[in-house]
Formats: sequence, C-alpha cells, structure tokens
Amino acid sequence: MTNLLMVPGLVLIAAGLWFLLIAALGLWQFPDLMSRLHALTKADTAGVALVALGATCLTASLSDAVVLLLCVLLVAVSGATTGHLIARARLKDTET
Amino acid sequence: MTAVFDILLAIGILGCAAAALAVRERTAAIAAFMVAGLLVALSWVRLGAPDVALAEAAIGAGLTGALLLRSARRLGPVRPRSVGWPVLGSAAILSAALAATLAWAVASSRGISSYQSLVAERLSESGVTNPVTAVLLNFRAWDTLLEIAVLSVALMLVASVGTARIRFDRLGEMMLPCARIVVPLLVLVSGHLLWLGSSDPGGAFQAGAVLAGAGLVLVMSGHVPTAGRAVDIARVVGLSGLAIFVIAASAAQVLTGGFLQFPPDVAKAWIIAIEAGLTLSIAATLVLLFLGLSRHSRS
Repeated sequence: MTNLLMVPGLVLIAAGLWFLLIAALGLWQFPDLMSRLHALTKADTAGVALVALGATCLTASLSDAVVLLLCVLLVAVSGATTGHLIARARLKDTET
Repeated sequence: MTAVFDILLAIGILGCAAAALAVRERTAAIAAFMVAGLLVALSWVRLGAPDVALAEAAIGAGLTGALLLRSARRLGPVRPRSVGWPVLGSAAILSAALAATLAWAVASSRGISSYQSLVAERLSESGVTNPVTAVLLNFRAWDTLLEIAVLSVALMLVASVGTARIRFDRLGEMMLPCARIVVPLLVLVSGHLLWLGSSDPGGAFQAGAVLAGAGLVLVMSGHVPTAGRAVDIARVVGLSGLAIFVIAASAAQVLTGGFLQFPPDVAKAWIIAIEAGLTLSIAATLVLLFLGLSRHSRS
C-alpha cells in the first residue's frame, strides 16, 4: 500500500515545490505589488496544497492527513485574506 | 544533505538579522526580524528542542512582530541620522567581546550537562511524561511562578502608563469569513497544545500565544468591544494566572508541607489545571499588551 502511493506522493511533492519556486520567482521578478501578490497568493497556496497532498500519500495515517488538511486550509484562508488586505490597502493609498 | 540544510539555515538567520538591522524602513526591518524568528524556530527544531521552537515561533516571531508593528505605526518613519565612529567602534568591540565569550563558553563546556539525566531519573514522580513540562511545572515551578509574576507586572505597567487607544482601519469584507474559519481552528490548536504539554512538546505558553492570536483576529475583525466591561474582564483573566498559581502553591503547602510540591499521585491533574489557568491568563495578557488599553483612555 505504502509502496503503491510512494510514486504519486513524490510526484505531487515535486509539483508542489515547482509551484513554490514559480511563486518565489514571481515575487522576485514581477514589477509591481499587484502582480507580485498575484504570483504569491495563487501559486503559493497551490504549491502548499500539492506538497501536503503528496505528504498525505506518503504517511498513510489518518490523523496526519487531518493535520495536513488543516494546514492547507489555514494557508489558503490566511493567504487569500492577507493578499486581499494588502491589495486593498494599496488601492486606498493610491486613491487618496 | 542535512548539513547543507543547516548551513543554509544559519546563513538565512544571519542574513535576516543583518537585514533587520540595516534596512531603513521600519516595516521592512520588522518583517526581516519576524522571518529571522521563524528561521530561528526552525533551527530549534533541528537542535531537537521542539518546545523552544513552538515558543519562539508563536511568541518570538508572531506576537513580538505584532507588537513591534503596532509600535512602529505610532513612532512614524525613521529619521536618518549619522552615527559617529566612537559609537560604531565601541559597538564593534562589545559585539566581538560577547562573541569571544560565547565561543569560549561553548569550547570549555564538557558536553551535555547532568541536568538531563537527573530529570529523566525522577520523571515518573512529576506526573507528566514530557521532561520540559516536568521541569517547568514541577521541579522548577518556582521559576515559572516568577515568570508569570513578571508578565502580570508588565500588564499592570501597560495599564497604568495609559497608551492611546489603538484604532483599526476597517479591514473589509474578507476579514469576517477569515475569522470564522481561523478563530475556531486556533482555539482547537490551543487546547491541543495545552493537553499535549503533559506528554509531548506544548504547554501553557505556546497554547496561550496561539489563543492570543485568535483574540487579535477577533479584535481586528471589529466584532469584539475594545472598551468597557470586556477589557475589565480580560484584565481580571490576565491577572488570574498568577492568582491561580499562588493559590495552587499555597494549597500544595497545606496538603504536602512543601511549597509547590504537588501530591505525587495526582500531580498531573494539578499541572493540567494550573496550565489551563495560565493559558487563558497568558492569552488575555498578550492581547491586552497589544491593545495597550488603559483605564483613562476609555472614553
């Protein structure tokens, strides 16, 4: 069972790391705040979710899977909210 | 492979620390400080001290960062000023002396102290199986009692100095849905850390810091009053930790004849009860320290 899930787990983690790398590249290279936020919030959340999914495949333990799921949920919610708050603050600053 | 990771981690910590000192903008410097705190927490994990790592991540990086950001807002931007060579020179000499002393201390220490084996020998008497909790709440409970006293003094000082009310901008329509998901989860994690403290890394300080985070989310979403009765209740809860600890210590004195010497067969119940009280008290204290509300600023 564990061996069966080993390969998809590793593939998912690799895919997640790729997303995180892209997010970091975007944060570094994109010209302005909005496009940086765009790169960071979306690619970051997807990357963490993929890594957690891969780790779930590797552990095969239900309690660990629940903890990983909660981690993904927290990252997704906090990422979306802080991204929105930062963008909102920037829009407010440019208006006035 | 782990050596590469450790070296990268060490370089990262030093880099973030340098950035925190060198950056001229306060918010950026605080961000660098918080990232350095998280990396230090990671290094505690690598050193096999997950208890310290949890405390560093929750209090050192999270809450201290929040307190610094709150203060930076009030201080305003950095005014550029030149630092003279005498100041720089003496700072360099002091830093070099400190580094040399630390290096000497590490080089002259003879490995791991005997403390660990002493604790392991008598762990079964403490009522808990996590050696860190056994030391904090049983063997050296006196130290922890005084730490809580320090926290209470800080709370009273902030309340009596009377800083201005903090005013939050309206945070928009995302904040409430976020709080609805995050706050229950934080309460759950806090309770988990508290319960876990008796057998695994965790305990009152970590649980209290997480609970304080939940409190701050609630305050910032604007759905908790930051004046009047709510603050009075929070202040009582904040000071109750010290009261509970002192009452427990005195009760132990009456029951067993030793100050802070809990009855051995029910020591776990005593420790969990004290830690539960401390968790609530630490959370209330940290939230109040962040808000900095005083009696007089209530208008």
